Amino acid sequence: MWRLNKVRHKSGRQGDSLEELKLKRREHEKALRRARRDRQLVSKRLLLNDDEEQPDPTMDTHPGEQDVVSLFLKLQPSGPGREAHLKALSKVLRDPSAQLTFIKQENSMHLLVGLLTGSDATCRLQAARCLHELSHSPHANVSPACLPATPYLLTYLSGQSTKFTELCLYTLGNLCPDSDIVKEKLLAQGIVPALANCLENQRHNLAVVEAVGFTLSQFLQAKDAAEKILLAVLASSLPSSLLSVLTPDPKFGLAPAIECAWCLHYLTCGMKDNRVLLAHGALLQCSSLLVSLGGAVAEGNKEEGLELFICPLLRCVGNLLSSCPVADLSTHVGDARLVVALCALLQVYLQTQPALARQSAWVLNNLTAHSSAFCSALLTLNLVPGLIKLLPFSQGINTMILRILANIAHKKKEFCAQLAHRGLLSALCATLKMADQEMVTLSMEVLYMLVVSGPQVAEEFVRQGGLSLLEAVQYNSEGEIRGRATHLLEEHLLSYSSYCSDNNPRS
Amino acid sequence: METVLQPDLVRLLKDEHMLAESCDEDRSTGDTREPRRSDDEEEKSPFNFSPQLIHLHKDHELFEDGDVHRHMYLQDLYVSGEADDKPTLSVSEFACHISGCSAVFSSLEEYEHHYNSLHRHVCCSCRRSLPSARLLDIHLQEWHDSLFTILAQRQDMYQCLVEGCGQKFSTSKHRKDHLIRIHKYPPDFRFDKTKKDRGSRQMKRQQQKDTAMEVVDDESEGACDVLSDQPERGESMETHACEEEAARMAKSASAEERADLSAAAARSTENTSTDPLKPRYSYRIPSTVCFGHGSIRGFRGRRGRRK
Repeated sequence: MWRLNKVRHKSGRQGDSLEELKLKRREHEKALRRARRDRQLVSKRLLLNDDEEQPDPTMDTHPGEQDVVSLFLKLQPSGPGREAHLKALSKVLRDPSAQLTFIKQENSMHLLVGLLTGSDATCRLQAARCLHELSHSPHANVSPACLPATPYLLTYLSGQSTKFTELCLYTLGNLCPDSDIVKEKLLAQGIVPALANCLENQRHNLAVVEAVGFTLSQFLQAKDAAEKILLAVLASSLPSSLLSVLTPDPKFGLAPAIECAWCLHYLTCGMKDNRVLLAHGALLQCSSLLVSLGGAVAEGNKEEGLELFICPLLRCVGNLLSSCPVADLSTHVGDARLVVALCALLQVYLQTQPALARQSAWVLNNLTAHSSAFCSALLTLNLVPGLIKLLPFSQGINTMILRILANIAHKKKEFCAQLAHRGLLSALCATLKMADQEMVTLSMEVLYMLVVSGPQVAEEFVRQGGLSLLEAVQYNSEGEIRGRATHLLEEHLLSYSSYCSDNNPRS
Repeated sequence: METVLQPDLVRLLKDEHMLAESCDEDRSTGDTREPRRSDDEEEKSPFNFSPQLIHLHKDHELFEDGDVHRHMYLQDLYVSGEADDKPTLSVSEFACHISGCSAVFSSLEEYEHHYNSLHRHVCCSCRRSLPSARLLDIHLQEWHDSLFTILAQRQDMYQCLVEGCGQKFSTSKHRKDHLIRIHKYPPDFRFDKTKKDRGSRQMKRQQQKDTAMEVVDDESEGACDVLSDQPERGESMETHACEEEAARMAKSASAEERADLSAAAARSTENTSTDPLKPRYSYRIPSTVCFGHGSIRGFRGRRGRRK
């Protein structure tokens, strides 16, 4: 289990106060956000030795170039001390400047690869550790130097030594995002079947599952994930294997499931047409997982890292729904409780993780877009008032919620009446006054559908003072909006003008 | 916003046999939805909403926060729970619809107050904004009703502005004296301008005509007083009767204006606006706009005097 509860900081020192830690974390977050906006968001992971509790990035005494060089020299002749030297080297290579020094030494990689593939098993392990440290380097030209080792790392994935396999996997995972050339090379060297076999064979070793998931997610999170990579993965046994390990193991924890979910997310968002994944039952599995997670969250389960798992699942369901024909919807989302789960997630995460709330709303939109059944479910389960309460919240939440309500109104006239009955009209009287132009436009669309659905709704709208509201809208700076307000007034609300309070002729 | 979840949701999520049947509805009906409206209506209607399936690609901005959290986790920087500052959830603002009025509000009440104060009781002819229906009534009578002028020569027509007083006077000056003496009004009550004052202000406006920005300078008339000198840029150039009338009035009153100019200028430097809003901008109502009392737009017909 990737230790979630331990807060570890790359640059943290022993004496840092809580405030300083917070500050550093915020700085990191800002840097990540910037990288994301530049589409350069890339991470590497460091697998610690069993005897290590915390990475020690700041060693008081720099090991110095001498140590690296001297160790390297000592490694060259074969002899009994080699393992010890290798182990020492692996510790020394934790330091970035030592990493640089090492790769500058002539034939250093050649030596390392030789040890990786030699007959001494312990040396293999230590050599792999050295490579792992190098793969994690912050310097741009260090990890590419490890490329000669990749065919061997891939071969070792089918081995039986699970600790060793894990190490190889994380090393490969760190090397993946370096460049497209690396990915091309790995693809040619057979990374997809290697990962597929590894996952199938080591399915019960959750630490390895987590490592495979991580590596695959790095491989798939290409800047412009080549379609051939996606197709290669989809054609393999990986999708079904990923789905089979998607349900988290309560003892081991969420980490393997999290990685696999992110892999599925990269697959679903990369393809416009997700028929293959649908055929594997991805939507069914992800949506039933969401239902149970929704229940857990609704009951107040505060398990650590739940959001890290819910996030990619939501995305999978959202994108899979956009590929699923409505007639097949009931097969793929057999459980109508999905709407309940989504509403629960919306409510629970609104304040703490608005991004998750936004994603839940998006999924609900896709669910209700063409399905009368799910629209009907929202009404009969009395979930609409809860949605209406969310209309004040901006930054993508209220526009999506309004879309959902519009989806419902669009289906049947009876739905319109029910929506009006549950308070949508008065909510629209407020949303029509919002500064966000999209909200105003959507509100008018919904209002139109409600008003034409039947005379009672139109009357109710007039009773609530809708006429003067629309009159004000008639002076909006946007011509389209003015026109629509006029159309509503003149074509559809004309006959209800007798409800106006004063209509006395001038004496 | 309550954070306690509806107990119903929890109950619903536990019910495994819920609504399995309703999903069949889609299988049978598929895409055949009940036709929403007749073809005729469809053609004329400017409304065109249709439900959209939205597919999001990897780098979509909706995914930004989640991606950042994911990588915080990968880099061992993730902290569960509320260790960090809570992200601020933002609430939509409200904005005045009236073209050119850029006022923005954080609550509905503010919006309503703004609209009711500044846009509701506006004179069609001279665009002056009055604070109540009654004062608008009186304004329309006294300024824009020629019948009133005729009748006023023979009888007391100028109503006291205080509701319930009921007294009438032969001239506006008499009324003003009454307001000051009996009702303790200030001598420069903003909603009791005479036509003369308006003329002098117009004179000033014409001098400012060339300035690019129309500045709301005369606070004393109540907020957002706009003149019809310049038609709205971009609007169709219908010559409104009001404009011509206003121009005529300005020219004819020019003689008296100069005397009042200094007085008006003194008045206009007062800036004790009680407007609670954020920075006010100049705004123009399109010349074709006419609303509030006396509106002849649309279907409501001429509205009578409010009692």
